[in-house]
Amino acid sequence: MPSRTDVEVLSADANEPHPIGAGAVGLRGRLWQLATNQQMLLLFALLFLVAAFTSQNARYLSTRSFANILQDWAPVMLMATGETFVIISGGIDISVGSILGLAGVVCALVMQSMTVGGADPGLTIAAGVGVGALVGLGVGLVNGLMVTKLGLAPFIATLATLGAAYGLTLVISHGQQIGGGPQAVTTVGNSVYLGMFTVPLITVIAIVAASSMLLAWTQFGRWTQAIGSNRFSARGAGIDVNRHLLMLYAFSGVLAGLAGVVVYFRLASGAPTSGSGQELTAIAAVVIGGASLSGGSGSMVGTILGALIISSILSGLIFIGIEPSWQQVAVGGIIAGAVFVQGLTRPAGRAA
Amino acid sequence: MTGPTLAADTPMAGGQWGPPVYEARNIVKNYGHVRALDDVSISVRPGEVVGLVGDNGAGKSTLVKCLSGAFAPDSGHLVFEGTERQWRSPHEVHSAGVETLYQDSGLAPDLSIRANIFLGRESRRPGLLGWLGFLDEPQMAVSANAQLERIGVYIPSTDRRVDELSGGQRQAVAIGRAVAWAKKVIILDEPTNHLGARQSAEVLDVIRQAGQSGIGVLVVSHTLPHIFEVCDRIVVLRLGKVVADEPASDFTADSLVKAITGFQRKTNPLGP
Repeated sequence: MPSRTDVEVLSADANEPHPIGAGAVGLRGRLWQLATNQQMLLLFALLFLVAAFTSQNARYLSTRSFANILQDWAPVMLMATGETFVIISGGIDISVGSILGLAGVVCALVMQSMTVGGADPGLTIAAGVGVGALVGLGVGLVNGLMVTKLGLAPFIATLATLGAAYGLTLVISHGQQIGGGPQAVTTVGNSVYLGMFTVPLITVIAIVAASSMLLAWTQFGRWTQAIGSNRFSARGAGIDVNRHLLMLYAFSGVLAGLAGVVVYFRLASGAPTSGSGQELTAIAAVVIGGASLSGGSGSMVGTILGALIISSILSGLIFIGIEPSWQQVAVGGIIAGAVFVQGLTRPAGRAA
Repeated sequence: MTGPTLAADTPMAGGQWGPPVYEARNIVKNYGHVRALDDVSISVRPGEVVGLVGDNGAGKSTLVKCLSGAFAPDSGHLVFEGTERQWRSPHEVHSAGVETLYQDSGLAPDLSIRANIFLGRESRRPGLLGWLGFLDEPQMAVSANAQLERIGVYIPSTDRRVDELSGGQRQAVAIGRAVAWAKKVIILDEPTNHLGARQSAEVLDVIRQAGQSGIGVLVVSHTLPHIFEVCDRIVVLRLGKVVADEPASDFTADSLVKAITGFQRKTNPLGP
């Protein structure tokens, strides 16, 4: 019969007055409060922004304007979803914007040539969507292999594909917008239900919902967090860390590819520059949402709110008449501010 | 969760141990021109607590990494339960029932105690949701407490995040986790590092219990009193070679230090 090591004894050292897990119920309550508070704060920030922009321009508070914000939000949210997983795992993927552009252009070229060839519009759209996702998967796998097999830092690996994918986009599009897809694209992309929902938007919401469950409630999500929190302990626990990281970068790539498809449906053409700078917006959404850039923590609810906040700001800046070129400046400032605030609120003793 | 059986595997009074559960024979490992391990043999029997000691650079960590599958030896044999094995990954060693707790690799600080205990072995919900990877938290909560209590670590709640625990508490959880899961062998690298006297005593208790439950235990430590306290046998490494492998009772504090360093020291080797 094993004797029980009483926890009061185990931690009787003067400097360790608390038994393991003691007061956990109260603590869980407190943590829950804290988490909800952080997300409540984001929600308040969002409401405050809406109020502020509305006070400057009353048209900001309208279904039409919200529909626009959600249209902007959809591709950002897709990229930010993959980015949330990658950042929680302790990495970063700065190639998502370039993947968006490349996937959009390839998707447009496929649809254009199939339409010229007289293919069925439904089939054409399916092929275009599939190819867009595959392009994302391909670049994502390259990212993942560079990180896991070559041991490159994620920032460097995805910086390489950021450049390469953008260059490739310009090569295959000759710098031109690619239109000429089936008419149905415009119908699908711009038919609005309930005042603000389009088919691509609904698809994005479904993907985001599924990803949220994946992160919070499944083994895949748990392992993602464990790897970001302590990679050695994850490996020691028998997790195939490299395989998991490869899947994460592939996942991020696919979602960025689909973001390109979403943009294509909105514009009915593939624009080579549509993704440039978008990686900043995606990363900003994740860090506003509270994910730690050093890995180990973050949530999809936070990222969803973060992406809404950033889309609202970008849209609001236009509403109050600020030149669109200032948008990137705003995004940069928001990232710095969010990370700074995180540093203030991070509990001491995080290290060790 | 089936625990290791007790009585049947415990060693008999006369020091009659069964055949080794895990054995390394004539292991050689080089780092470039440096020979880290030179013809090293070591074994651990079911229920036996073996201490592995040696100065810094003696090759202890390298040997542990060979045993845990992190490194492949350049030559030599690893024999597990009587069968020679060529491990392809730490994962394979792990699945065979050998748990290794590295110094400082410890736990994932952002995860709860429970998530850490089940890391890599999470229970899934039944049916379709389980197939999709959905976790069965209530089941893990019950089972985590049972596992820890079985090996003598009592934790009222496993919901707390590990980064809210003190260093000693973390170590207790990490060792508790390794002991709870070890089916055949557990390798502990400096398990009492950074612990206070009382916590060390508790950790040593857990180690002793792991041995009594029939698991083979290999403890690497610099703290010689702890080695004397729990080990049945002590293996001494010096400059990559085994220079002593005797029952713990055959050593005195002085003779052990002499074996480790190769010369007699004047100062009290056991320290404060």
